[in-house]
Amino acid sequence: MVLSSDELERYTRQMGLPDWGEDGQERLRDARVFIAGAGGLGSAVALYLTAAGVGRITLCDPDTVELSNLNRQVLYSTSDIGRGKVTAASEHLVSLNPAAAIVPQSYRIDTDSAPDLVAGHDIAIDCLDTLDARFVLNRACIALGIPMVYGAVSGFTGQLSLIHPPTTPCLECFISDKSPTEMPQVPGCTAGMIGSLQATEAIKYLIGIGRTLAGRLLVVDGMGPRFDVLEIERDPDCPACGNRAE
Amino acid sequence: MIVYLRSGGKLHDLLKPDVDQYTRRVETHEGATLIEILGELGIPLAMVAFAFADGKVRKLEYVPSDGDVITIQSPVAGG
Repeated sequence: MVLSSDELERYTRQMGLPDWGEDGQERLRDARVFIAGAGGLGSAVALYLTAAGVGRITLCDPDTVELSNLNRQVLYSTSDIGRGKVTAASEHLVSLNPAAAIVPQSYRIDTDSAPDLVAGHDIAIDCLDTLDARFVLNRACIALGIPMVYGAVSGFTGQLSLIHPPTTPCLECFISDKSPTEMPQVPGCTAGMIGSLQATEAIKYLIGIGRTLAGRLLVVDGMGPRFDVLEIERDPDCPACGNRAE
Repeated sequence: MIVYLRSGGKLHDLLKPDVDQYTRRVETHEGATLIEILGELGIPLAMVAFAFADGKVRKLEYVPSDGDVITIQSPVAGG
């Protein structure tokens, strides 16, 4: 279906980009994106993908909004404290772009829930806050053949990659299974920066433009500042995507 | 042989940089793995998720060469 006059006007400042055009905009409109986690990263990802015109976004998070979230979780206002995150987020996102179908899912990502939650989407965005949950999402995406945009933050540092085995390594190919025990300090600017880059990766993948971070890891140190793009290799013995995969 | 370890964030204080703000010069033996080098420095392995050197992500079993500059990364999981 062609774009409406409303859509042509709303997206006029991005469709003129090389290789984006009406075709790219239609691809975004037809896309189904799963966002795991509606915190600091998820806020930025959801806002930018909704504004960009992604047609269907599933936002998954079981938590409620707390005062201590508001330094970085820019989807929420003070008046949202105590409300379910995905409920409050959906209202905000629909007011930003009424054409977007926002699907709130108030569930925790675990081995039982992840496959059903993620199935049927074109891409998943990892905005979770523990390595355990990230590994669960990683394995669900591998099993379903769905690409996953990995992003993580702590302090002024962040990491980002596009995970899509067997074309790329998976998360467990290069990260050891060691969950940090402390809740990290995260300024909103770091979450916003990495979340924006995750949205960029998703848009590039969905439209088919540019070069994604498939097979590469971006490591950001905001204090330097320093941006390193590193090659990552598949681990043949990876327990998630290698020969030892369960 | 000499290798140079770099880090910021949480690992910075444990690394005790002496070359510049982020870098420590470490003398070690040929064939030492990163696990052994970190052990000699008293840096808990649980605090290191991975390392990178020469533009590639390296696991902790990586065996550095003389003069390598290796950046160690703590686990980053916040969202």
